[in-house]
Amino acid sequence: MKKLLLPVVVFCLLFSAVAAAQGPVQGGTFRYALTTNPRGMFNPILNTEVYDGYINSVVYDGLIYIDENLEPQPKIAKSWEFSEDGLALTFYLHQGVKFHDGVELTAKDVAYTYKTILHPEYTGVRYGDFSMLVGAEDYHNGLADQVPGIKVVDDYTITFTTSEPFAPLLSQFTYGILPSHLLAHIPVGELELADFNRHPIGSGPFKFVEFLTDQHVLLEANEDYFFGRPNIDTLVFQRVAEDALPIYIRQGRVDYAEISPENYLEVSSIPGIDVYVYEALSYNYICFNMRQPRFADPVVRQAITYGFDRETYVEVLREGFGIVANAPIPMASWAFTSEGINEYPYDPELAAQMLAEAGWKPGADGVLEKEGMRLEFELLVPEGTRVNEQMALLFQQNMEEIGIKVNLVFMEFSAAVDRVDARQFDTFTMGWSLSVDPDPYGIWHSTSPWNDPGFYNERSDELLELGRRETDPAKRKEIYAEWQRLINHELPTMFLSYGVTIAAVSERVQGIDTEPGPLGPLVSLDKLAQIWLLQ
Amino acid sequence: MWRYIVRRIFVQGIPVLLGFTFVLYFVITIAPGSPVTHLRGVPNIDEETIARRQAQLGLNDSFPVQYVKWLGRVLRGDLGLSFDSSRRPVSELILERMPATILLSASSIVLGWVIGIPVGILSARYQYSALDYVITFLAFVGISAPSFFFGLLLLYVFAARLNVLPAGGFFLAGEPRTLVGYVQYLLLPSITLGLGSIAGIARYMRSSLLEVMGQDFLRTARAKGLSENKVVYKHALRNALLPILTLMGFTIPSIFSGAVIVENIFAWPGLGSLAIQAVNERNYPVIMGINLMFAVLIFLGSLIADISYAVVDPRIRYE
Repeated sequence: MKKLLLPVVVFCLLFSAVAAAQGPVQGGTFRYALTTNPRGMFNPILNTEVYDGYINSVVYDGLIYIDENLEPQPKIAKSWEFSEDGLALTFYLHQGVKFHDGVELTAKDVAYTYKTILHPEYTGVRYGDFSMLVGAEDYHNGLADQVPGIKVVDDYTITFTTSEPFAPLLSQFTYGILPSHLLAHIPVGELELADFNRHPIGSGPFKFVEFLTDQHVLLEANEDYFFGRPNIDTLVFQRVAEDALPIYIRQGRVDYAEISPENYLEVSSIPGIDVYVYEALSYNYICFNMRQPRFADPVVRQAITYGFDRETYVEVLREGFGIVANAPIPMASWAFTSEGINEYPYDPELAAQMLAEAGWKPGADGVLEKEGMRLEFELLVPEGTRVNEQMALLFQQNMEEIGIKVNLVFMEFSAAVDRVDARQFDTFTMGWSLSVDPDPYGIWHSTSPWNDPGFYNERSDELLELGRRETDPAKRKEIYAEWQRLINHELPTMFLSYGVTIAAVSERVQGIDTEPGPLGPLVSLDKLAQIWLLQ
Repeated sequence: MWRYIVRRIFVQGIPVLLGFTFVLYFVITIAPGSPVTHLRGVPNIDEETIARRQAQLGLNDSFPVQYVKWLGRVLRGDLGLSFDSSRRPVSELILERMPATILLSASSIVLGWVIGIPVGILSARYQYSALDYVITFLAFVGISAPSFFFGLLLLYVFAARLNVLPAGGFFLAGEPRTLVGYVQYLLLPSITLGLGSIAGIARYMRSSLLEVMGQDFLRTARAKGLSENKVVYKHALRNALLPILTLMGFTIPSIFSGAVIVENIFAWPGLGSLAIQAVNERNYPVIMGINLMFAVLIFLGSLIADISYAVVDPRIRYE
């Protein structure tokens, strides 16, 4: 048997080498597994669910796209430039880009798409991305009927202007461009009810064919795609039950799937399947309610962090699928720094010593007390993720060793969010998924509604404001490095780990990014227009 | 008879349904969490956008106002629009998933009868034999096993290990929709869903048949020299089946609620995942729509059971 095997292996290797050398071939069906079905909002300015966004990203093209290094790259816009003062951003569009119905895409469609987002009756959730455009606020509040910040220069040139420099702006122009000739007659307030959203027409690499609720979304290659017809003929987003995913992968019924860490070992043992593990743009944390006096002293927050064995959490509970985090900018981002960052290695003795030096003494029941404050608090844990629940138990146990009593409160997710929004918590654990631009303003500025810890620090606010205005990437990186050191010292929340994503890909899929960055082997879904299948 | 049906619908059914929707709407609105909670995860979203959405969805109204508005629409035959971003009509969301749920529920009910009744008869005919004990044991396993466990077990054995049946889901895009295909996709979920009723019906059938077999008229039949087969299948069985009919009315609700769980395990494209998603997202109109529909179905189920009872047993008349 062994003797037989060798030639077979050699033959297979030869065969795949030949096939790879052949270069791209056309044809075939690529199946992408989804464990949650899209809702059917195939309109890039109105969808809120990620999975609808998948379909939108292949049916529509944006002005730009984000590449594997998280850098903006030209798409419908062949180039762009900032004015000297950094306030005006001008896009130059390709000529001859066509919607699936054959009508040419021009600057008018771009203006329509972005103006709709700012419209007073707009029902979607993207206004916050573009509210900084000149005149956006007045238009949004119905005080003006034009947006001076959006200017169509000619059919292939459009300029967006902000009142002050806004560094993240460029990376936000990824939303798909809508065909204004099909939509402009519909009142913006009723756009969400339009039949168009169920039969989308964009200018992207794939044409929408059918959406069968809870079954699949079927798309076909756009023969006349401006950037070249995709190699695959058919693209299917196939719904698969979470529990059945490894079986579907084994049976070759899907070509691509994101899998959970529990399935890693099983799926990576399947012949013909490559498994990629890459860092996601996300992290999870335990948030302190700094409005409570006992959490006001940074020493307490630092001591708790020293006292929690986060290495064990990542290595054992998460089975290594994660990276211990010490600041809120993910490693994969260009703004990440490890310089001057304290890693808070697990050290219960140091933690106890720090608390003692800060004046905390054990009370009658052994729980630390100081001036009427007690280190006994609740940790809110949203239910449903086993590893989270185990983390909470480990935290409770670790804290007990340094004289802190943690009472765990398990709650359904929505109920927990309610408590957080009402600021009725001592501590809670959740996670953030981040956008491509590292700008942390939205979560951390003292005026932000999502500043859950109630963190206020003058220097932090200053840096966040500076970071948004600075258009020179090198200087901006320096600003965010200082900010990360500040947060790493202050620890308004205890950072637990950066997330990772695991993708299983059939070996018959060629042309993917085999050393994936945070956007994965398909670079979001941009690579779908170029991949090909071994027949 | 007709008067009875009309009274059941108007005097009992409608007030009960009204009360049910009122209590349900009340409970889901006081539950913590709100339909706009999930928007919090959208990058760069501002508070004002969430507030606007809340107003658009009519969530700033008090509970009684919301309920009355909802009821008003329902009475005009409109279940409202879903709260998720797709804003599709709830009736459309339900109707496009109904066929799959009905197919699954109906086939598991059929399985329950086709397997449960013969097994129950065997068990009764060979009372206290080894066969009876085995059947009794299996029936108790079937009644007690939670469907999610049994469903995963079936997936593991038939899809993962033996690789003879698909691992849940429905036809792949482009796969021809043949009868054999339907059976293949339907088999595991309907067995999972039907297991409880197979076991339940078998147990009921057994005790019902045993009870009838002990009666005087059967002794007479045997004394007249009828064969045992004739005694059992011709005389005993028809009488023993009667209580089982009532059982049918009562199993319909549990089949439908069981379907919600089973459909999620098998990614069956029915109402199950819609229902669970709606609850997690506090999608009020969808939760109300699905529950109202189930309530109506359950009411009709028990009504049909009552009526068929009268049809089978001429002694029963409703006046």
